[in-house]
Amino acid sequence: MSAGSRGFRERRVCVLRCRFCAQVLSARGMKAVLLADTDVDLFSTDIPPTDAVDFIGRCYFTEICKCKLKDIACLKCGNIVGYHVIVPCCSCLLSCNNGHFWMFHSQAVYDINRLDSTGTNFLLWGNLPEIEENTDEDMLDVSAEECIR
Amino acid sequence: MAAGGAVAAAPECRLLPYALHKWSSFSSTYLPENILVDKPNDQSSRWSSESNYPPQYLILKLERPAIVQNITFGKYEKTHVCNLKKFKVFGGMNEENMTELLSSGLKNDYNKETFTLKHKIDEQMFPCRFIKIVPLLSWGPSFNFSIWYVELSGIDDPDVVQPCLNWYSKYREQEAIRLCLKHFRQHNYTEAFESLQKKTKIALEHPMLTDLHDKLVLKGDFDACEELIEKAVNDGLFNQYISQQEYKPRWSQIIPKSTKGDGEDNRPGMRGGHQMVIDVQTETVYLFGGWDGTQDLADFWAYSVKENQWTCISRDTEKESGPSARSCHKMCIDIQRRQIYTLGRYLDSSVRNSKSLKSDFYRYDIDTNTWMLLSEDTAADGGPKLVFDHQMCMDSEKHMIYTFGGRILTCNGSVDDSRASEPQFSGLFAFNCQCQTWKLLREDSCNAGPEDIQSRIGHCMLFHSKNRCLYVFGGQRSKTYLNDFFSYDVDSDHVDIISDGTKKDSGMVPMTGFTQRATIDPELNEIHVLSGLSKDKEKREENVRNSFWIYDIVRNSWSCVYKNDQAAKDNPSKSLQEEEPCPRFAHQLVYDELHKVHYLFGGNPGKSCSPKMRLDDFWSLKLCRPSKDYLLRHCKYLIRKHRFEEKAQMDPLSALKYLQNDLYITVDHSDPEETKEFQLLASALFKSGSDFTALGFSDVDHTYAQRTQLFDTLVNFFPDSMTPPKGNLVDLITL
Repeated sequence: MSAGSRGFRERRVCVLRCRFCAQVLSARGMKAVLLADTDVDLFSTDIPPTDAVDFIGRCYFTEICKCKLKDIACLKCGNIVGYHVIVPCCSCLLSCNNGHFWMFHSQAVYDINRLDSTGTNFLLWGNLPEIEENTDEDMLDVSAEECIR
Repeated sequence: MAAGGAVAAAPECRLLPYALHKWSSFSSTYLPENILVDKPNDQSSRWSSESNYPPQYLILKLERPAIVQNITFGKYEKTHVCNLKKFKVFGGMNEENMTELLSSGLKNDYNKETFTLKHKIDEQMFPCRFIKIVPLLSWGPSFNFSIWYVELSGIDDPDVVQPCLNWYSKYREQEAIRLCLKHFRQHNYTEAFESLQKKTKIALEHPMLTDLHDKLVLKGDFDACEELIEKAVNDGLFNQYISQQEYKPRWSQIIPKSTKGDGEDNRPGMRGGHQMVIDVQTETVYLFGGWDGTQDLADFWAYSVKENQWTCISRDTEKESGPSARSCHKMCIDIQRRQIYTLGRYLDSSVRNSKSLKSDFYRYDIDTNTWMLLSEDTAADGGPKLVFDHQMCMDSEKHMIYTFGGRILTCNGSVDDSRASEPQFSGLFAFNCQCQTWKLLREDSCNAGPEDIQSRIGHCMLFHSKNRCLYVFGGQRSKTYLNDFFSYDVDSDHVDIISDGTKKDSGMVPMTGFTQRATIDPELNEIHVLSGLSKDKEKREENVRNSFWIYDIVRNSWSCVYKNDQAAKDNPSKSLQEEEPCPRFAHQLVYDELHKVHYLFGGNPGKSCSPKMRLDDFWSLKLCRPSKDYLLRHCKYLIRKHRFEEKAQMDPLSALKYLQNDLYITVDHSDPEETKEFQLLASALFKSGSDFTALGFSDVDHTYAQRTQLFDTLVNFFPDSMTPPKGNLVDLITL
């Protein structure tokens, strides 16, 4: 999870492009710092960039905290560009965070600041409209008993 | 000329230089030319397609024609989702005419992989100038295709290639001449035909077929034609055609005889999770136990195919020193010694803590009608723990039993260990019936070593008595469906992986997760698989019916006998039910390999509205291919039908007599389709003039054209090596 100085609303919205193939990964990026290791710069976004990236590999945990993670790769060139927090850990949840679960490595993307409707000022997160999130319904398990007798 | 370094197979094999000729697309900086350079640590040193929508391809042009023997793919230093999981390679002397040289896939790792390309036709090497690589699937299905580096190697020494080129052009010319000969003969250009044949000395077809043409088309001597065909059938010339025909399934529901004056049930009641074995010598099907929707059963039945009758051997085997009521056990039969074994059972969570979890093992002797407890707990004897949904096979020859997989039953809640909630699967065990000892052959292992096997439930395991191998495929581990296929040689203790389940052609192998039941025919070297209902509730709503697959062990290929997708109504109408059994779980399928019949009983239809409902229907299945006799009769029918139509033109009265007598005897009047077609033939007596002339025969008289068409039909039954070319010259013309 990512954190930064208070007032995420003052942060600039940036367009994130894949550094390898220049594909647009997200139009709602935020420059941030890793909560568990504040030396690490990265970018994060709130809505899943499902058109631009897809999961690869298995879930894993890092040594730094207990968040459950899975890597994401750019759909165009196939290179790993970041990761998604599948299950955040308690300590990260309790700390001050921006609530984003999709992260991009700063070496894998480059950012371009977006402008607001006037065309002269930077677009800030405080002015960005929110989008409703859909929660997936849990898949009901088939009773194993039914299949064997 | 660069010295070769790619493959050490043949001394003359060297690297073949090539250039990029054409490509379907590329994205960003991932240009096609990048495959010429091998830089595994540079992620941009590759070709990447723009999307993964077909068609995607790269066409490479060789500097000079060569025999292309191998292709090598380089990789990236790390695994990468864009690596090709499935691809095909084509080759040819020009871009329009390319043959498939390879169909395979790459492993998703960082090692170069080399494949042999097809480069011979019947031992004759053929040259290529163009090579086309067609990616079909990448390791991340939503990602684009990438190729990092390609090397081609083979022989480009002109001394070797030139003769092949000569052969190739000669081969093409020969085929062109044969097409011309065929065309001339079809159009009765006799002089042109004879002249071309004399000049080129090329045979259009086998002399027998020339003779058939002469008798049929030129002379109209139909009796001689029939004799010729009859001789061909008896000489086995139609066998190749027969072996290529698909099986047709014929289900029929068995209604057994009921014994009079018997108050109790005279046939097994509805159940799922029961077990059946078949004694092919006496044609007897044995059925034991199961779950009727409410409780486990302990009744034991025998069905005699000859008498078409069920006999209840025992209403409750427990009372006769046999096993207690159970379901999801496994049985196997030793036909030589006439004994049946049963192992394993399912206990649901409510009784798992109260009942003993000992894995009892029983044997039933058919001749003395007695049960014997071989072991109170096979786990204590070095054998498997109590399992269900496992598989068990009998090796009568060496008097051994093999059991593999199944989920181990443990009591819940007794240990506060998170590991206990993870399901455990049983390994591969062998039981020596003579010494009554168990041996663990393979533990459940998730390693990918060549001799490691993963245990599972719901899989199929069959023993091939002739080559003495166990065949295992499919199954499930928790939520993962497995689609690997391996064999285990019981004598050499060796695992051979037939398919690791990754290079699967979707649609070309039976789908996983569909409660498959399988049987084996060691004489025909075939494995038969009947799929039931999907374990996925969502898929079940899609009204899927049964599908039946056959695996040819020698050819290592699957073929689908049928795959119905008709809607299944909630209340299946009688007519649908009569045709074939509804898809189901927990049923039993056994095979009589002597008489080539399958038997199916009961199961769980998976109706969400009545979850306790089970089936008690009993079916037989015969897989039919046309026989020699059928083909002979069919050919006679075709010849006589044509003869009748010719007669109808000239002398309707005599034609009618012919129809009623000679043609009548070639029709199978118990077959509704044949009868209907026969009845419609009479209308030919009343037609005046001819119908549409067949395409391509406008300049020949009608009779000649019709006879030629009949000739073309009859010729199809002969092997390809004897027949004229299949195509027609006129078909090459497009508007």
